[in-house]
Amino acid sequence: MEPLTTSLKRVFGFDHFRSGQVQALASLEAGADTLAILPTGAGKTLIYQLYGYRHPGCVLIVSPLLSLMNDQVNRMRMSGFKRAAAITSQTPFGERLSILNHLNQLQFLFLSPEMLAQPQMLARLQQIQLSLLVVDEAHCIVQWGPDFRPEYLLLGAIREKLRQPLTLMLTATAGQQTRAEIAKQLRSQPQVVTESVNRPNIYLDVENVADEATKQSRLQDLVAHLRRPGVVYFSSKQQATDTALWLRDTTGVTAAAYHAGLDAEDRFKIQQQFMAGQLDVICATSAFGMGIDKDDVRFVIHYHLPADLESYAQEIGRAGRDGQPSVAILLYAPGDEQLPLALGQANRPEVETIERYYAHPQNFAADDPQIQLLAFYREHGISEEAVKRLFASREKERNHALAQMLAYVRTETCLRATWLQAFDETSPAHTAQCCAPGNVALDLTALGLTRQAPAPEPEEMPWQERLARLF
Amino acid sequence: MEAVDLGQLLSAQQDRRIRVIENLLRGKKTVSTLYWGQRYRLLPLLNLDKHLQRGGLDTAIQDLQHQGWVTVDPEQATLRLTSTGEQQLADQAYYRPVTTAQWVNLDLVAARQRLLLAVQVTSQFAHSTARYYPLATDQETRRAVRVWFHRRKSPALASQLGAALTASLQQLPQQTAGVVTDQFTGFGQPGLTSEQLAVTHQWTTWEVRLMQVDGVVQIAQDARQADHPLHELLGPLWQVPISRSAQATLAAVEAGGDLARVATVRKIKLSTVREHLLEAAIMSPLRDFPYDQVLPETVRQDLASALHGSIDDWQYTALPTALQAQYDFFYFRLYAIWRIKEATT
Repeated sequence: MEPLTTSLKRVFGFDHFRSGQVQALASLEAGADTLAILPTGAGKTLIYQLYGYRHPGCVLIVSPLLSLMNDQVNRMRMSGFKRAAAITSQTPFGERLSILNHLNQLQFLFLSPEMLAQPQMLARLQQIQLSLLVVDEAHCIVQWGPDFRPEYLLLGAIREKLRQPLTLMLTATAGQQTRAEIAKQLRSQPQVVTESVNRPNIYLDVENVADEATKQSRLQDLVAHLRRPGVVYFSSKQQATDTALWLRDTTGVTAAAYHAGLDAEDRFKIQQQFMAGQLDVICATSAFGMGIDKDDVRFVIHYHLPADLESYAQEIGRAGRDGQPSVAILLYAPGDEQLPLALGQANRPEVETIERYYAHPQNFAADDPQIQLLAFYREHGISEEAVKRLFASREKERNHALAQMLAYVRTETCLRATWLQAFDETSPAHTAQCCAPGNVALDLTALGLTRQAPAPEPEEMPWQERLARLF
Repeated sequence: MEAVDLGQLLSAQQDRRIRVIENLLRGKKTVSTLYWGQRYRLLPLLNLDKHLQRGGLDTAIQDLQHQGWVTVDPEQATLRLTSTGEQQLADQAYYRPVTTAQWVNLDLVAARQRLLLAVQVTSQFAHSTARYYPLATDQETRRAVRVWFHRRKSPALASQLGAALTASLQQLPQQTAGVVTDQFTGFGQPGLTSEQLAVTHQWTTWEVRLMQVDGVVQIAQDARQADHPLHELLGPLWQVPISRSAQATLAAVEAGGDLARVATVRKIKLSTVREHLLEAAIMSPLRDFPYDQVLPETVRQDLASALHGSIDDWQYTALPTALQAQYDFFYFRLYAIWRIKEATT
C-alpha cells in the first residue's frame, strides 16, 4: 500500500499532515482502535476521509448534530468524495429508502445515534463491509449520553453487533475521566493520540460583573470595541435572538442569531454570511460551531456560564484558528451557576418519578422527555435501581464539572493553568499575553484587539443590478 | 406570525374561528376548514406555514386582545376585530400580495426550494465555481434541479435565467422584487434570511414571506411558457387543489353514479363520498362541479324556501324538522357552497 503522504498528496494535494493526523492514521493503519483528541481546526475529518480512500468498504460516521450532518455530506462532496450520504430522523422517508437501497455503493455514511440504534438499520449495516466506524464528537457520549441522548449508551453494544469494526473516536477535548468513559462505553481499549488543548494565541479573560444589567452593558461595550468578527455564546435561543437585534440597533454591528431553532435555509445563510465576512457578530447557542471553518474569529464571549470546561474549551476553540491573537471572554455575574444547574436538572427525573414510572409505566404520557428517557432505559432492560444510580452518579459528575468551571471563574492567578490542569496538562509559565483573571482588567489595546476601521457601507444598488450580478 | 399579521386575517363584520385559520396555515384540509376558509376568503393561506404548532397563534391573539383590537368569544373560539382594531389596521401600511388567486394551485414549498437551488447552481456555474456549499434541501428537490440543470446547461443559461427572472419581478411591486432578489443564494451572495429582510425594511417576517410567495408564484406563472428556462422545473408543480381521492370520487359521480353506488364501487363510506364532493365543490369554480346532478333544482328550491339572511348565520338544526328528515347536512352545506359560488362568480 502506498505511503500515507502519497495518498495525502493524491487526494488533497497537501505535502504535509497537520500534527496529530499522521499519528492517528498510523494507529488505524496498524489496526488499533484510536481515540484522537485534537483541537478544533486540526483537520479531524481528513483522518477518516483518507482512511476511507485507502480501504475498501464504507466508513460509518456517528455524528451528534442533525443540522451538522448534511453540512458534512456537502463538505465531503466538495472534497471530491461523491459517494457520501446522511440519514437522520429528519431525512424524508423516500430519501432514506433510496440511501438504504444503495448502501453497498457508499463510501461514507453519516448516521445519528438514534438511527443507528434502530434494529432495521443495524440489520442492513451488518450486511455491508465497514472499513471504519467513526464516533464524531465522542465527548458527547459523556456530556449527553445519560440524560439527553441515551442512544449513545448503546454504541458499545451496537459496535459488538457490527462485529467490532475498527473504530476511530474523535473529540477536541477530553480529560482522563472523559477518555476512560468513552473507552468504557465503546467497549474498546483505544490508542490515544493527543495534542495539547492549549491555544497560546487565545488570550483568556474572566470578568466579574455585578448583575445582569451590568453584564449587558459590558457586552455592548466589548462588542463595540473589539476587533471583529466574533461569536457570543448564550444558553438560551431567545436571548441569542434578542441580543443579536439589540446589539445591531445599539452598536451598529451586523449581528445575527444562530441556533437549532432556525430552519435549514436560515442556518445555511447565516453560516455563509459569517464565512463570507458579511457578519461582525454571531449570537449563538452551542449549536453553532461544530464544523464551522472560519479562521479569523477574533473573539468568543460567553454571556452564560457553560456547564463544564470541555464545552468551554470547544467553544473558545472557534477563535484564532489562523494563529493570530484572539480573546476568549467569560462574563460572570453572581449566581450565574444557577442556569447550568437548572438546565442540567431539567431532563433529570426525580427519584420518586423513577419509582412511580417503574411501578406503573402505562400511567405516563409518552411525550414528556423525562418519561421518554425512562422508557428508553426500561425497554433496554435496565433496572429501576440501576437507573437511580445512573442519574445520581450523573448528577455528581455534572456538579463536579460545574465546580471545575466555577474554579476557573474564581481563579486569581492564571486562568490557563486552571484550564489546562482540568485536562491533565501543565501550563506554560504565565506571561502578560496569557490571561486576565477576574481581578485583572482586560487591556484590548495592549493585545492589539481593538476594533479596526469600519469598512465603508456598500452603495445600495437597484434590484435589477443585484440580480444581474448573480448571473 | 405577529399580532398585526393575524389582524390582517380578521374582520369586523364576521366572527372568525381561530382553529380554521390555524388549520389553513398548517395545511390541514378538513371540509370544515376549507368551507370556513372559503367563507373568510382565506383559502390562499393553505399550507403557508406548515411548521406552525397547534396554539402557535396564541401570542398574537393575546397581543391583539391586549391592544383592544379584537374581541374573543371563548366559547366559540372566534375572533372579531373591534372598530379600533379595524381602524388601526387600516391605517398601517401592510403588504398586499398580488398573486393570491394562484396560490392554491401551486406546490409553493417545492417551487420555492427548486427556484432557490436552481438560481444558486446557475449563478455558481456562470462564475465557473465548481466547489461551493449547495443549499440544504430535500433529495427530491436536488434530483429535480440536477435533471433540469443537465438538460439546460449551456453558456447562455445564466443570461436567459437572469432575463426571465427580471421580466417576472418587474411585474411585481419594487419592494417584492428586491426581497426576492436578496433572498437568492449564489456567487458572492449568501442571501438574506426573511428575518434580516424584515428588520432592515421594518416589515414583519410574515410580510416578507408573503412577498416571497408572490415572487415564486409570478416566476412559476411565467414559467408556464414553454420557452421559459424554468419551464420543466416548475411546470410539474402546478396542481389541481383537490386531493387525488376526491378527484376520483368526483369523476365517478360525474360518470353518472349515484352517491351510494360510487361508495360501493370505490369501497369507501358514503360519508367519505360526501366529504370528497364538498371538498371538490369548495375548491372548484362553479362550472366545474356537477351541481345540477348532485344538488338538483328541486332540492335548491326546498332549501331556499327555509334559508334566509346571511349564510354565516344559517344553521342546519334550525331547519324545519321535515326538511331535516328529507335532506342530510351534506345537502345543506353543498347548497351554501353553491350560493357562495353563485354570488361570487
